[in-house]
Amino acid sequence: MAAIDPITLEVVTEGLISVVREMRATVFRTARSVAIYDAKDFSCGLFDHQSQVVAQSEDIGSHVVPLPWSVRASLDAFAGDLAPGDVILMNDPYLGGTHLNDVTLIYPVFEGDRLVFFPAVREHWADVGGMVPGSMSGTAVDIYQEGIRIPPIKIVEGGRINKPAMDLMMANMRVPSERLGDFHSGLSACRTAERRIAELIRRYGIELLLECVARNLDRSEARMRAQIGRLPDGEAYYEDYLETFSERGLEPLLLPLRLTVQGEEMIADFTGVSPQVPVPVNSTLAVTAASVFITLKSVLDPKAALNHGSFRPVKVIAPKGTIVNVTHPAPAGSHGEIRKRVIAATLGCLAQMAPELVSADIHRTSFHNLIGGIHPKTGREYVHYEWSCGGNGAFLEADGPSTMAAIDWGDLNTAQASEILETRYPLFIEWSKMGTDSGGDGFRRGGLGLRRAIRLTAEHAQYSLLSDGAVVPPFGVLGGEAAAPVDSYIMRDGKKLAFATPGKVGGFAMQRDDVLILQSAGGGGYGEPLERPLAEVAEDVREGYVSSVQARAHYGAVIAEDGTADEPASLRLRRQQLADRVWLKAQSVDGDLYAAGKVSRRRVAPLNPADMTRLGVGAGALVDLIGPGAAPLRAWIVADDKVEPGTMPVDAMARRVLRVADGAPVRVRPIRLPEIS
Amino acid sequence: MLWLGVDVGGTFTDLVLYDAATGELSLAKTPSTPSDQSIGILAGIDRLAIDLARVAKFAHGTTIATNTTLERKGAKLAVVTTRGFRDVLIVGRGNRTQLYDIKAVRPPPLVQRSSIFEVDERTLHDGTIMAPLDRAETARLANTLAAGGYDAVAICFLHAYANEANERAARDILAQALPGAFIATSAGVLGEAREYERFATTALNAYVAPRMASYLGALKERLQERGYTRPVSIMTSNGGTLPADQIIRRPVGSMLSGPAAGVIGAVHVARQAGHADIITYDMGGTSTDCCLVRGHAFAMTNEGAVGGLPNRVPQIEISTVGAGGGSIASLGNSGFLSVGPESAGAVPGPACYGRGGNQPTVTDANMVLGRLAPAAPLGGEIALDPALARAAVEAIARPLDLDAIQMADGIVRLAVTRMTGTIKEISIMRGIDPRDFTLFAYGGAGPLHAAFIAEELGIRRVLIPPFPGNFSAFGLLVADARGDYSRTRLIATRDLGPALIEEIVGGLRHEARQTLADAGFADDAMRFEASLDMRFQGQAFELAVPLTEGRAGPSEIEAQFRRVYEERYAHAPDDASEVVCFRLAAYGLDAKPALPRQSQTGSLAGARMGKRQVAFAAKFETTEIYDRERLPLGQPLRGPALIEEAGTTTVVPPGFTLRADDLGNLVLECL
Repeated sequence: MAAIDPITLEVVTEGLISVVREMRATVFRTARSVAIYDAKDFSCGLFDHQSQVVAQSEDIGSHVVPLPWSVRASLDAFAGDLAPGDVILMNDPYLGGTHLNDVTLIYPVFEGDRLVFFPAVREHWADVGGMVPGSMSGTAVDIYQEGIRIPPIKIVEGGRINKPAMDLMMANMRVPSERLGDFHSGLSACRTAERRIAELIRRYGIELLLECVARNLDRSEARMRAQIGRLPDGEAYYEDYLETFSERGLEPLLLPLRLTVQGEEMIADFTGVSPQVPVPVNSTLAVTAASVFITLKSVLDPKAALNHGSFRPVKVIAPKGTIVNVTHPAPAGSHGEIRKRVIAATLGCLAQMAPELVSADIHRTSFHNLIGGIHPKTGREYVHYEWSCGGNGAFLEADGPSTMAAIDWGDLNTAQASEILETRYPLFIEWSKMGTDSGGDGFRRGGLGLRRAIRLTAEHAQYSLLSDGAVVPPFGVLGGEAAAPVDSYIMRDGKKLAFATPGKVGGFAMQRDDVLILQSAGGGGYGEPLERPLAEVAEDVREGYVSSVQARAHYGAVIAEDGTADEPASLRLRRQQLADRVWLKAQSVDGDLYAAGKVSRRRVAPLNPADMTRLGVGAGALVDLIGPGAAPLRAWIVADDKVEPGTMPVDAMARRVLRVADGAPVRVRPIRLPEIS
Repeated sequence: MLWLGVDVGGTFTDLVLYDAATGELSLAKTPSTPSDQSIGILAGIDRLAIDLARVAKFAHGTTIATNTTLERKGAKLAVVTTRGFRDVLIVGRGNRTQLYDIKAVRPPPLVQRSSIFEVDERTLHDGTIMAPLDRAETARLANTLAAGGYDAVAICFLHAYANEANERAARDILAQALPGAFIATSAGVLGEAREYERFATTALNAYVAPRMASYLGALKERLQERGYTRPVSIMTSNGGTLPADQIIRRPVGSMLSGPAAGVIGAVHVARQAGHADIITYDMGGTSTDCCLVRGHAFAMTNEGAVGGLPNRVPQIEISTVGAGGGSIASLGNSGFLSVGPESAGAVPGPACYGRGGNQPTVTDANMVLGRLAPAAPLGGEIALDPALARAAVEAIARPLDLDAIQMADGIVRLAVTRMTGTIKEISIMRGIDPRDFTLFAYGGAGPLHAAFIAEELGIRRVLIPPFPGNFSAFGLLVADARGDYSRTRLIATRDLGPALIEEIVGGLRHEARQTLADAGFADDAMRFEASLDMRFQGQAFELAVPLTEGRAGPSEIEAQFRRVYEERYAHAPDDASEVVCFRLAAYGLDAKPALPRQSQTGSLAGARMGKRQVAFAAKFETTEIYDRERLPLGQPLRGPALIEEAGTTTVVPPGFTLRADDLGNLVLECL
C-alpha cells in the first residue's frame, strides 16, 4: 500500500470535502423549490463504490446519513449494468429512501472502466403528487396517497435523458416546471462533482485517492471506537412512543431500544417495536439506523468530519414490517418523526450510561405544516411548506437553545421570512414568537418552541400537518421537566377549532380569515428545577422565557414586584414543594406492566385510587416515573384498588431504567403542561 | 499637497504618505493599539514626521465596527418593533451553525429580549399602511427607554422597505425623547425585504454606532490639534470612502474597511500594470482575505456576516479565512494537524518573536524552513529567533514521528490548502477557473506563500505590488467616494415602464446627489450606476442587471437579464422574470496617485545580499537572497530565491522565474 504523509492526507481530504461544497453551491443557486433555495432542504454527498460516505459538508444529516442505503439499492438494481453517462434517480423509501418528497440522484463516476465514486444529491421536492398539496398528509393510509414512488431508474442513460420516464414522473406532480428545474440543479451538481473528481485523480492518481479515503474511514472508525470504549460495558434500555388515534382516543405505539456496549462496539436493538400501521408514523431502516448514528456522533464525537467510518462499530437491529423498518404498502412519510423518536430513545439510553454527555429530549417531530390552494391574485397553484423548529434539550453546561434546528437537520433554515410569505402567498402573519413556558424546566432549562399565527386571506385553502409528539411531550433528564408538545389549531370567529387527531391533519378546509396557530415543541429540561439558581429563574421571567406562574409552580421561585426573586419566600416554597412530592414504594412484579392496544402496547402505572387523589390525577393520565436513573419512564395511570396505598408495582425493565430495587421509592410526577402563550 | 492613508489592522497600523508634488510615497508600520487606535496612528504620523496642516486628504481603514461586534462591546441597545414580531431578532432563521453537536449553542444576539419593545403599527407588503403608528404608545415607550439608559435604538418595522412612514413617525417621537441616543430605522439602513436580515443589520448598525462616533470624534480632535481640519475619509465595505460624519450614521457599512481598501488598491495597480483578471490574496497576521476581480471589476454581495450575525449591507465579495502568519498549528487528540483559526496575535505573537509565545505558528514554520531571515524583522519592530521557532515546531512534530523540517513544511502546506480553499470558493465553486487569473499577493505574509498557492491552483502568474506590507493603506489613497442606495419593489419585468424606473431610480439619485454634494463633490465629479436585482419568477436568488439609463423598455431589460443569467448558470429557462430591488451606486470621483515608473538598472548581482539554506519540499537548497530595492527591471531571476524588503519576504520557489516590472511590481511566472 502506498505510504501517505499526513499532510497529503489532509490536502486530499479537504479536496474531497470541497467537491461536496461545490455541489451544494450549485444546487442552492439553481433549484426552483422554495424548500431548497430558501431553507436548504437538500443534501449532497460523495460515496465510494461500496456505498460508504466519503465526504459531506454542511449537509442535512437526515438526508445524507441514510443515503448509503439508497446507493446500495441502486448498485443492487444495476449491478454490472452501469456505464459512464448513466444517472440513477429514485425516491423509494422502501429501498433506502427517506420519504417520497426526498428525490435522490445518484451518479456513478468511472476511472476508465472502474466504478470509483458516487456523488449523490437528495433534494426535497415541494410536491411529488399524492392526496394533498405538498404530498405530506397526516392521514395517509398507504404509500399511494403520499405521492409517486420511483424505484431506482436510469433517468439518464449514456448521457441522454430518458424522456418517457421523465414525462411520466412530471405528469404526476404538482407544479412540474419547478420539479424539472430541481432535477436539473441536481444533475449539474453531479456533473460538477464528476469533473472535480477527475481533476483529483489526475493530480494524485486513483490509488492514492482511494488510499486516502480508506485511511479517513479508518481513522474516523478508530475515533468512534475510542469514544464507545469509554462508555461502561453493558446494556441500557429506553422506550418512547409514536402517536396514533382511534375512536377510543390516543393509541400510542411503543418504540423500545436496547443499547448494548461491548468494548468498542455497540448494538442498537429495536426488537419489540410496534408493527407498522396504516398511519404515517412508519419509516425505513435507513432512517432508523441513520438516526442512531446521528445521535451517537452528536453525543460522542461532534468534532470530526462525517464519514462512514464512524458508523462501522455500530450494529442496528430493526425487525421488518415495523414502524422502524416499514415495508410495502404502509405509508412511509414519517421519517421526521421516527428519526426524532429514535434520537430520543438513543439519548434516553445514553443518559443512563453517561448523563454528562447527553442533552434532554429535543422537539419530537419535523412538524411538516402545509397550506395549499389557488392564489387569488395569480390564479395559480401554490404550496406553503413550513417546519418551524422547536427547542433543543438542555445539557450539563447550558440551557437548551430555543427554536433551533436539531442535530439531524444540518444548517437548515427553519424560520421563514414573514415578509416573503405575505408577498408570495395569500397569508397574513399575525404574530411569530417564542412560546413562553414551552421549554422543559430544569437546573438547565430546555429551549423554547416557536408559536405562529397565520391568517388566510383567500377564500379557501387546504391545511395538512404531518407530525407527532402532540400528546406525549419531550422528556427531561435527571429530574428535568417535560417540555411543551407540538400543537396546531384553527381560530375561527374567535373560537378554537381543535383537530380530532392532534398533530395529524390531511387537507382540512380553511376559510377566509381562519387563523392557524402553530406551536412547535420545546426541549426537555436537565437536572432538578428546584436547584436552578434563583437569579437565573428571575432573569428567565424578566426575559419572558418563563412566566411568573410557572416560575412558582416548577421552580419554587417567588418573583417580587421588582423582578428579583424573593429568596426567603422561595426557599420556603422550595422546601414545601420537595415535601409535597409523591414517592411510592416499588413493589417488584414478574410480568410486564404494559396495556395492550390494537396493535401495540403502552406502559401503565397501576395505582391505588387514594394515591391518585394525592397526585391529583385521574385514570389515563400521563406521568413521569423517576428514580435514581437519569431518564424518566412514561406511563399511563390505571386505577387499581388491589395495589396497596403508598406503593406501586414496578416491572423488571422499569427497575433497571429507574435503578430502583424492590421497596425503594419511585417518584410519580404528573405531566402538567402549562398553557403556552 | 500630501495625502495620507492609514489602515489599522489587528496586528499593525500601516501608513502610506503620498506627496502629490513629487509623486513620492513614504511608508510606516507601527504596532496597533486596540484600546485606542488613534495612539498607533499618531505614532505612525510622528514616525513619518508629517505636518498634518499640509495634508489634503486623510483616508482611513478601521476595524472599530468589526471589533466592537466581535468583542460584544457595543451600545446598550433597544429595539422597537411591530407588535407580534418581538422575537424576530432572537429566533433568527432557526438554523444551527455547529452540525452534529448535541451541545451546540448559537451566537448570542446583540440585544436582550427584554430590550425589544413592541408597538402597534402594521404595513403590508405592497406598502399599504394597515395600521398607523400608535403615537401615544410610542411616546410612553420613549419615556421608558429614556429612563432605561439606552444609548442606541433600532426601529424595525415589518415591510418598512415598502413604506417607511411608520418608522419615520416612530423615529421622530423617539428622537425627541432621547436626544443623546443613536436612532436607526430599518428602511434607513437597508431598504430590503426579509425581516430578520434587515432587522439584524439595523440592530448591528445601532450597536456599533456610539463607539464608532466616539472613536471618530476623538480622532478628529487629535488630528485637529495637529492641524488637519478637513473631513476624515473612511473606507467602507463597498470599496468607496465616505466622510466620517456619514460613517457615524451608518457604521455597519464599514465592517470590511481595511480589506476593501486592499482590493481597491489591487484593482488600481493591476490596471496600471495591464492585468484585467486578478485574484487578490491579502494575508496578514490573523486572517487572509481574497477577492476575485474580472475585467477590472470585483463582485458585490449582500450576504455578508460578522461574528455569526448577518450583515446585508452591499459589500465587496471578499472571502475571509481565519489563517494568517500568526495562526497556531496544533494536533488534535487523534493526530489531526490543524492550522488556525486560533492566532497568536501581536501578543504574545509567534514563538520566534520571543515574547512568551510557545505554540508554533505559520510564521514559525517559515522561519524553520529558512524563508524568513532572523535579521529581517517583521514590521520593523521585532527581531526573530529561529531557535524558538524550531523548538515550538518540534514539539508537535515528535508525536507524528516527523522532524521539524517536515512538520514546518506540513504547516505551510496546510495553511496554503486552507487559503486555496478560500480562493476555490470564490472561483472554482462559481464555475470560474482560477488558472485564467493573476494572483495579486500582499499583506505581510502574502508574498511568502503566493507562489505555493499559485502552484496548488495551477495559476501561472503572481504579482506582488510595491510595499505589500502597507498595501491596504495605499488602497485608501486611490479609492473614490461611494454610496449605495436601494429600494425593494417586487414587480414583473413586463410591467416595468420607463416612468416607474425614473420614479424609483430618480428618487435614489436625488438622495445620492445630495449626500455627495454635502461631502464637497461638484456635479461633474459625480457618477451614478443603476442596476436591477432580477430573477425568474419563483426563484429566490437575484442577479444584478446593469440598467442603462435612458428609455430602457421591458423587453430590453428582459433580454439583458437573460444574457447575465446565461453567463452565470450556463442556461436560462423560458420563464417570466421579475425585478426585486432597484439599486444605485453613486461615486464622488477623486484624483489618484499613480505608482511611479521605475528605471532601476544594474545587475542581479548588484542586488544580491547573500545566501542561505532554504527548504523547498522539505529539502534544503542553497538559495540566493536579493534586496528588492536594488532589483534591476526586467531581468529574469530563476528560483529558488528570496527577495527581502522591509516588512516582508517574497519566496521564489524552484520552477518560478521572477522579474521586476517598471512599476516596481514583482512578477513571478511558473515555467
